[in-house]
Amino acid sequence: MIRVEHLRKQFGPVTAVDDVSFEAPDGAVTGLLGPNGAGKTTTLRMLYALMRPDAGRILVDDVDAVADPIGAQARLGVLPDVSGLYPRLTAREHIQYFGELQGVSGATLKMRTDELLERLDMRGIADRRTAGFSHGERTKVAIARALVHDPRNILLDEPTNGLDVMSTRAVREIIRRLRAEGRAVVFSSHVMQEVSALCDRIIVIARGRIVASGTPDALREQTGHQNLEDAFVALAGLEREVVE
Amino acid sequence: MSRLSQMLVVTRKELRDAFRDRRAIYSVLFGSLFGPILVGVMFNAIADRQREVEDITVPVVGIEHAPALVDWLRQQSGVTVVEGPADAESAVRDRTQDVVVVIPDDFAKRFRASRPVELQVVSDGSRTASRPKVQRVRALLQRYNGEVAALRLVGRGVSPAVISPLQIQDREVSSAQQRAAVILNFIPLFIVLASFTGGMQIATDSTAGERERGSLEPLLVNPAPRMVIAGGKWLAAALSATLSVAITTTLCLTLLRFIPLQDLGIRFRLGPEQVAWLLVAVLPLCLLSTAIQTYLSTFARSFKEAQSYMGYLIMVPMLPGMLSSVYPITSQPWMYPIPILGQHLLASDVLGGKSPSPIMFVLAALAALATAIVLVRLTTGLLQREKIVFGR
Repeated sequence: MIRVEHLRKQFGPVTAVDDVSFEAPDGAVTGLLGPNGAGKTTTLRMLYALMRPDAGRILVDDVDAVADPIGAQARLGVLPDVSGLYPRLTAREHIQYFGELQGVSGATLKMRTDELLERLDMRGIADRRTAGFSHGERTKVAIARALVHDPRNILLDEPTNGLDVMSTRAVREIIRRLRAEGRAVVFSSHVMQEVSALCDRIIVIARGRIVASGTPDALREQTGHQNLEDAFVALAGLEREVVE
Repeated sequence: MSRLSQMLVVTRKELRDAFRDRRAIYSVLFGSLFGPILVGVMFNAIADRQREVEDITVPVVGIEHAPALVDWLRQQSGVTVVEGPADAESAVRDRTQDVVVVIPDDFAKRFRASRPVELQVVSDGSRTASRPKVQRVRALLQRYNGEVAALRLVGRGVSPAVISPLQIQDREVSSAQQRAAVILNFIPLFIVLASFTGGMQIATDSTAGERERGSLEPLLVNPAPRMVIAGGKWLAAALSATLSVAITTTLCLTLLRFIPLQDLGIRFRLGPEQVAWLLVAVLPLCLLSTAIQTYLSTFARSFKEAQSYMGYLIMVPMLPGMLSSVYPITSQPWMYPIPILGQHLLASDVLGGKSPSPIMFVLAALAALATAIVLVRLTTGLLQREKIVFGR
């Protein structure tokens, strides 16, 4: 479970994240929805403790991510915004490297690696160097290495960005499975359909602030738009922007 | 999980990653082989020239005018006399000959009358390569001159000692091994350079390369302190540099066994003990050189940018060598704890047959290690900056 209270982050004169509070319970998918530049990535970066918030509190399973970033990181599986791979290492070696850094070793590491390769349907590419991988294959490697230590909380920053239909479906499948296993999943997206297809709760962010949150149905009701995309546009204040 | 084992995980990954990269292998190999090969080629060239002087062929014009002189010359060890070219001057000018001795027609007549004979030694003073040979010929003629003069005096009942009020003797105070060190001075330079080239690829690829690929952010999401990440990368680079230094040192010293150093008038002895001291002197430098490289490369956003920094950095280890050719450095105790300079001096001392006090080795190593640790801490600080982690 992840709890965020009054998070704030300032870059010079720009307030990138402003008083953001939410909760991502176990066994549920929480979607951060917002246009590009709304503050989704910055929020997530503070959650996985690579960025220090200017104010606010983050709890990952009761570990304070600001006071004990390493403790929080051990409880998190993260797919960052930029997820570069090492072109000269194989898919399996990527998973093992991160597993070892997380303190998994020996038979356990081997078992988890094999399990992930199986689950993500990566057996065919497991022992190939990642240099020539497609975007979908690369994303799978990045997700697999983020899950090798069996984290209870998962953060995915735009996991389906740029993927083709089949890869997108595969990633959705992974997210559903993670939820079924009782993990807390937070993922960000700027694509409405993505969020509505997967999320139990949606948090709409615009200009660094939460403008609405609730179940997809609640959001439709709140805005009076039957179509979620219209609801999103209305909530994010994008209409006004276009008019201005 | 202990911090140390986490650090070794990073080190192992970086080494494995790097040695799958041809560029890394080439840079280690090139850095390691360049020095020894150059040393070998240069020594052989010098030795060849020296041998040439010992076995010389002297072209003489007008052999028939002074058969006694020519016979005397032929009796000297290593000297062969041949008929000289008709036009001595142009033969020397167009470099078909290094030196030509011209005996005049009236040699026999004047010689018999005990009048000075003008002998010409034709040479080109602008050619350094032929200078030893010319000097040898001149010395031979001087000796003949002295011997004949002595005989003439004896024939007139005068002791030859009368005309030699001064007897000049050269006494060289530097040991043969010290003279060798002057010539061997570039071996320490190459070894020091190897400590910079050997770890360069890993230092840049694991930091600037990591930023460029966008793999730094996912890496730092793992629960490892930044010190562990920075330390692991540094250690991998340092091990690679160590390998490079070991190859260079071994090759240089193996080559020296095959080079005919005695032809250069150098008595050079390099046993296992000297090799050990040489490595003790230089290996701590691998920790420092790679710490500097890791730090600088972490600033760089791309591999290329990092490499341009490395290009400037490589000048630093060359400085002691370049300065010592302008100002001959007599090593002072205070110089040893200066990183890089200290290692250079120690290596020169060991090769020169001097044995510096073990305290100097310890001081130099400690100074290098301390500076390296400071730099790794600074790198850790860089990895904590959001601008470095996210700025691409």
